[in-house]
Amino acid sequence: MRGDRGTALRRAIGGQRRHVGLAAALAAGHQAGEALVPVLIGVVIDQAVATGSATRLALWLAVLAAVFAVLSSSYRFGARAAERASEWAGHDLRVRLTRRILDPRGGAEAGRLAGELTNIATGDARRVGGVNVVLPSAVAALTGLLVSAVALLWISIPLGLVVLLGAPPLLWLGHLLGRPLERRSEVEQERAAHASGVAADLVTGLRVLKGIGAEGAAIARYRRTSRESLSATLRAARAQAVHDGAILALTGVFIAAVALVGGRLAASGEISVGDLVAAVGLALFLLTPLQIFAWVNAEFAQGRASARRIDAVLAAPPAVTAGAGSLPSPVRGRVTLTGVHHGPLSGVDLDVAPGELLGVVAPDPAAATALLAVLGRDADPDAGTVALDGVPLSTLDPAQARGAILVAAHHAILFAGPLLANVTAAGGAAPAGRAMSAATADEVARSLPDGADTVLDERAQSLSGGQRQRVALARALAAEPPVLVLHDPTTAVDAVTEARIATGIREVRAGRTTLLVTTSPALLAATDRVVVLHGGAVTAAGSHFALVDLDPAYRAAVLQ
Amino acid sequence: MSALLPTASAGGTWAAVRDLLRGRRLLALGALAVLVTATAAGLLTAPLLGRVVDIVASGRPASAVTWPIVLIVGAAVVQGGLTALGVTLVAQLGEGMLAELRERFVSRALRLPLERVERAGSGDLTARVTADVSIVAEAVRRALPQLARSVLAIALTLVALAVLDWRFFVAALLAVPIQAHTVRWYVRHAVPLYAAQRVSVGAQQQQLLDTVGGAATVRAFRLGDHHVERVTERSTATVTLALRAVRLITRFYGRLNLAEYAGLSAVLAAGFLLVRADAVTIGTATAAALYFHNLFGPINIALSLVDDAQVAAAGLARLVGVASLPPVGEAEAERPVAVEASVKAAGLGHAYLPGHLVLRDVDLHIAPGERVALVGASGAGKTTVAKLVAGVHRPSHGTVHIAGVAVEELGAAATGGLVALITQEVHVFAGRLADDLRLARPDASDERVREALARVGALAWARALPDGLDTVVGEGGHQLTVTQAQQLALARLVLADPPVAVLDEATADAGSAGARVLEESAARALDGRTGLVVAHRLTQAATADRVVVLDAGRVVESGPHAVLVEAGGAYARLWTAWSATRGG
Repeated sequence: MRGDRGTALRRAIGGQRRHVGLAAALAAGHQAGEALVPVLIGVVIDQAVATGSATRLALWLAVLAAVFAVLSSSYRFGARAAERASEWAGHDLRVRLTRRILDPRGGAEAGRLAGELTNIATGDARRVGGVNVVLPSAVAALTGLLVSAVALLWISIPLGLVVLLGAPPLLWLGHLLGRPLERRSEVEQERAAHASGVAADLVTGLRVLKGIGAEGAAIARYRRTSRESLSATLRAARAQAVHDGAILALTGVFIAAVALVGGRLAASGEISVGDLVAAVGLALFLLTPLQIFAWVNAEFAQGRASARRIDAVLAAPPAVTAGAGSLPSPVRGRVTLTGVHHGPLSGVDLDVAPGELLGVVAPDPAAATALLAVLGRDADPDAGTVALDGVPLSTLDPAQARGAILVAAHHAILFAGPLLANVTAAGGAAPAGRAMSAATADEVARSLPDGADTVLDERAQSLSGGQRQRVALARALAAEPPVLVLHDPTTAVDAVTEARIATGIREVRAGRTTLLVTTSPALLAATDRVVVLHGGAVTAAGSHFALVDLDPAYRAAVLQ
Repeated sequence: MSALLPTASAGGTWAAVRDLLRGRRLLALGALAVLVTATAAGLLTAPLLGRVVDIVASGRPASAVTWPIVLIVGAAVVQGGLTALGVTLVAQLGEGMLAELRERFVSRALRLPLERVERAGSGDLTARVTADVSIVAEAVRRALPQLARSVLAIALTLVALAVLDWRFFVAALLAVPIQAHTVRWYVRHAVPLYAAQRVSVGAQQQQLLDTVGGAATVRAFRLGDHHVERVTERSTATVTLALRAVRLITRFYGRLNLAEYAGLSAVLAAGFLLVRADAVTIGTATAAALYFHNLFGPINIALSLVDDAQVAAAGLARLVGVASLPPVGEAEAERPVAVEASVKAAGLGHAYLPGHLVLRDVDLHIAPGERVALVGASGAGKTTVAKLVAGVHRPSHGTVHIAGVAVEELGAAATGGLVALITQEVHVFAGRLADDLRLARPDASDERVREALARVGALAWARALPDGLDTVVGEGGHQLTVTQAQQLALARLVLADPPVAVLDEATADAGSAGARVLEESAARALDGRTGLVVAHRLTQAATADRVVVLDAGRVVESGPHAVLVEAGGAYARLWTAWSATRGG
């Protein structure tokens, strides 16, 4: 889309920079406060417990209260600002992705499954937005690190150096121990996830299993998968446990080292007892910011990977370009194909008169698909032109072209929502009644509990294949486009109904151009003229009945 | 209308968990003992540091601190080693129970009567087997070990505080009322909020799948703006709920901060008073303060797991609800020897909705080896007859006998051995092609699998797949065409080899060319069986031994094709319409 030069990551942060800035400042305040707590415990021991002064106790507990108030409210408002930035950035990317995927010029779905695109719009968008939580955490960790470093060096330079130089190698060692385990555990987690995949697959195929009585075999198979997954998970858990144990032991040894140096310094009077307590507390605290850095690193890596996937979709080249041409008004509906080459099509010449009901028989399904693609401007022909009323489609805006030529694909999808809303989606309410009775979708509506107001689920899975086709056909007819292209609209409809639908289409489309791409004789019998696409070009034309009589190849294509 | 599958009560869930624990008592006790020892070893650090403080405060030589330090190192190593062992044991316990539960769940779920699943909506079962299993697994994998360690750390630290001096323990308890109140307040608000959030996230996902999956349709009908608006609406709702959840969480931790401060200052003040009264040393007071400061982490972890635990418990209740259903037909009943594979349906009537009869008084007798075609317009009741005969649904009225035995007496497994139903719904099971087929007959030899494929005319393309019969197909694997998937379904039928087969619109979605191929495959798969075929194309009727015409849920005609055409009734009219469009 226009002006999208910045990556998704930069947009996500830049678009929310005020929230992110506020969150970072507050998170820094929170970490600084957390770092001060052990320091203050040391001060209380030194100034009050060791001296027995009640006023000092009261004073320092009041200071501790102030520190708690600051760290608590910084956390509260900082975390809110960060989450706001994260959620809205993710939302912005989600909407942007949806807009790109639905862009009339198309091209975003090329080579990607719907599930994959949905995951990009949910998971990846969330992860990129999540960088806005990560960034303030990084600033906060840095602040915590600096505050504790200053405090430690203030207490004692040698002791401070022991802690500051000791902590990074400790974490590095932990990381080193963890890496091979992590890799191993990833592989094994994957195997564990497989078990849940198998279960979902078996449940999805439940009707098939029941149909052949294979429940027992399926259960036995799942049990095997579950056991394999269990041993993989246990291997991963064992590796993780060893890693956790090693980190615990290493941390304990580190604390011991700090206590050894600090204890000797305190014994020789160079630091106070409270300083020693503070130093031990700070040594423990210091591990948190360092762990945050490791987490920040990992999250950023994930965020970058997600941003790359998002950028790839947003920057996908459009399948067709928008032209500046325009159609005459009103559109008369003459469709002309001249020397069209596209995929299996090699030189299709075709002239469809305004108002004609034309049957197109393409025994090669790929040829039919290619023809629909160029008619619907999902793609432009490699050579030749497709023109409407003499205006080449490639000079038009694709949305404008589709307003004039509607291609109702065989695999068109019904959307979640009321049946009637599906039918009227692209047209007014007025033509819906006629369209529904022509497509016999009114009968479908009558068989449902709430008639045409019945709410269909996603992809109208509760309807049978034939019912879905009838509703989808009604939707296409209700749109009343100047040119309508219908692809195999009745493959799952019974013969009697199909014959009625053929008559219905003829009546509703009277005076408007209609192309019926099908091999169904019931539909073809209702057309004005039929052309046969064979070997990528028009090889025969005539009435259905004449072709049946004269053309053996045609007979073979449309009759059983 | 939809009646969700059962969800276990809290009591039922506990009973199921106890039941799963029954065979693992030793493991559970071992894990507990090891983790208690590990935590106790870790708690030695604070008093040992207190000892260092005392050594310094009493002015003893610097070398005296060495011994406590060596002990700290020892405690750390013991704690690390035992924690590793303990966490491993917890994983063994939790994962073992989880595996047993999910196996029980799947075995009950697959045995559920189809009617029951359909009444609940197939989404219910799928959601349980994916989302709920993974929520519970996640809880077992991450929350359980963390919770076990945190709770032990808290409990033992409180004990340790009491050992230092009972008054430290009392001081520490000052934090508890604030924490208890906070958790109650949080749970009250969090449970409905998170439930709403999950619904909202699900709705957003559905909307995106609907919109993205239908992108081509959206473009063709120029519905882009409308769909962007719908996605924006759903996404905004999700964001709003997420932000409400964040506000809740931050207030939760804010209150816990208050508890931390109250407890910490109480412990420090207690130390001050006790040292002044000479009841404890400065080192002990230090140890007490360190103990309490070290509690911040475990307390936050344990309390933050409260909502994970709630979510996991809800998921667990949904799993247990299905897993605790009484086992149906577990014992793979031996297939009754079919002396005569006949089908006798008498007075069949069926209503999916009460009072909404879709089938009335249907009598259908199919002789052994006979092939009957069911013909009729959409909605005439063909599919319902097919399902009733195959024993998938129980009729509201009337009876079905297969091989002379009433279907309800046969039980699910036995029905499966006698009669198979192939529907329009094709599903290719994820995995190797040969494994998909072996679901129908697990012990089938390679030779037999190849024969089945050859019989339905699928061997040629199956061999030509990248890895032949070992090619991974289905979700995430090689995509088969609709025709290929249907042939696979027919090959499964050949392998299952039931004496009676019911075929329902198996050729509808394959297009005309595919339909002809499939009719041929179906005819060969039916060879030697008693067959009931729901005829979508009248060619299937013309080649059957007998045609039964259904209209509005009743049988209106029955007889061989030629006879019915002669008779000039409903079937003859259908046939004329069908053949007329074919230029006849």
